[in-house]
Amino acid sequence: MEDFINLILDPLKELFLKFKVFVPNFLAMLVILFAGIVIALIIKRFLAKFLAAINFDSWSDRMGFTKLMRRGSMWSKPSAVLCEIVFWLMVIVTLMSGLSALQIPAIDQLVNQFFSYIPRLFSAAMILIIGYLLSGFISRTVLIAAANSGFHYAKLLAQAVHTMLIVLILAMIMEQLHIAPSIVLAAFSIVFGGIVIAIAIAFGVGGIDAARRIIEKEASQKRDERQRDEIDHI
Amino acid sequence: MSDFYQTGIITTLHQLGKPSLERLETELHEFSKIRPIALVLPSLYSEFEGPAMPGIVSELSKVKYLKEIVLVLDKASEKDFHRVREFMSPISTEVKIIHNDGKRISEIYETFARNGFNVGERGKGRSAWLAYGYVLARGRSDVIALHDCDIITYSRELLARLCYPVVNPNLDYVFCKGYYSRISSKMNGRVTRLLVTPLVRSLQQLVGPHAFLAFLDSFRYPLSGEFCMTTDLARVNRIPWDWGLEVGSLAEVHRNYSPRRVCQVDIAANYDHKHQALSADDASKGLMKMTVDICKSIFRTLASEGVVFSDGLFKSLLVSYLRHAEDTIMKYEADAAINGLRFDRHEEAMAVEAFTKAIGMATRIYMENPMTTPLIPNWNRVTTAIPGIFEMLEMAVDADNGQ
Repeated sequence: MEDFINLILDPLKELFLKFKVFVPNFLAMLVILFAGIVIALIIKRFLAKFLAAINFDSWSDRMGFTKLMRRGSMWSKPSAVLCEIVFWLMVIVTLMSGLSALQIPAIDQLVNQFFSYIPRLFSAAMILIIGYLLSGFISRTVLIAAANSGFHYAKLLAQAVHTMLIVLILAMIMEQLHIAPSIVLAAFSIVFGGIVIAIAIAFGVGGIDAARRIIEKEASQKRDERQRDEIDHI
Repeated sequence: MSDFYQTGIITTLHQLGKPSLERLETELHEFSKIRPIALVLPSLYSEFEGPAMPGIVSELSKVKYLKEIVLVLDKASEKDFHRVREFMSPISTEVKIIHNDGKRISEIYETFARNGFNVGERGKGRSAWLAYGYVLARGRSDVIALHDCDIITYSRELLARLCYPVVNPNLDYVFCKGYYSRISSKMNGRVTRLLVTPLVRSLQQLVGPHAFLAFLDSFRYPLSGEFCMTTDLARVNRIPWDWGLEVGSLAEVHRNYSPRRVCQVDIAANYDHKHQALSADDASKGLMKMTVDICKSIFRTLASEGVVFSDGLFKSLLVSYLRHAEDTIMKYEADAAINGLRFDRHEEAMAVEAFTKAIGMATRIYMENPMTTPLIPNWNRVTTAIPGIFEMLEMAVDADNGQ
């Protein structure tokens, strides 16, 4: 009979012991979460004041980030969005730290993976910001150069360059974030290769007549110049 | 039927005989292929509950030559906005509604403010300016026509006649102002009759011949809210956001273009709209506020063209204005008598007294701070400071209308 009672009590004792170990960890997680959220709120408020002081929204309007946000149907102030992003990042970090306080091996592993992913997130964000600025600068340069040299489709060319650069940047970001890298690489190669082949075919086959006309025009201009030179010497 | 006499330094296009509306609209349809037309309608939601708007929508649904209609809706909730969309649905032309109180457009105004642009308080001026920006952003139209949304006697002939001089490529006009008589059982249009014209003539008497005063005096109805212009003009013009809107816009047209390219056209045999109360005791509302704003706008324009205002000149102006206004009352009394119109001479004299008071107020405000007339910056300047603003504005309006 005693054995039978032990058989019932032992798992309960074990459960109680596990619970006794878990409760302080759980309380620690709650404290970490609470403190983290409070700190995140304070930082959010300070960040909002700092961004207002440096006219971040106005800078964002001029740099084109606001336009980028609007394209993504985000209609809040850029500084408000940045503050929200920072706040939620801090909440997630706090949550991860809190979860690690539970000392559950599976969660610990997840937390480690998350923290090792943060640098990748950061570098992806940097690629996005710098890439977007650079693509805008390059497409504007192409537009000005093409328009100044009298190219009829200057705007279209600039837009095409911009789109291609954005595709390249997105591929780099996906690769950086390790999101299906082999598929991204293959898709990027196919898309980019396809574009290059399409351009090659368009100019090589579709543009034979145009190319002939351009070459003939160049040749006849040179002939004319030579003839003019001779007359000038006389 | 009016006479054909040409007055002033701008061209006057009269209504002679009974021109065929069908012919006008057929020609406009052809011309609009080369010069597409946008119609801008600044409106309040309350106007959709009044008698004017159903008539305007019914007439506009018969118009085929417009490329787009941009309606700027003010003082409207989200529900009202959807009701107005439904209300405008009989019109076959593409209608875009700018919801001034919507979240996205509010954010656009916020963008202007944080980049140092004072686009003023809500009102017709600010609404019209934003609508020009949207038309410029879309780049589909070369001509912008604008009329109010409280016209009870609206007919599509008004729109056709307003657009014709600017849309017709053979005429070479960049700006056309509508004019009409304001007759019911009596003469309306007190501010134009008893304030602007006598004031301009008094100023001409005191300052001497002046190009802007001659230009302003050439308009038969300088305060009419109906006009048509090229989009190039909409891009460079700065407009006031207060009641000085009409006079201020004319000042900018005078500044940027030769009077040879400006005309006025008779757009309606009769015209009736919402009437403003005089509010003689309160300068912050009604016709008194309008008077003060108009006077400030005229003073500022003249000062910017080199006229020096002094205490003495302003004192003489008040006396001179009063004399001109009294003479004007006599002229209109005779005009009313021969046409069998009711004419309350005492009421007219009371209006002149109130206007005199308002001019006095405007002179004081002007002397304290000559820079008080608020001008909204032109779109060229805005796009330089915020390069993506056109795209953002287009996205905001399209997103609102796509919901």
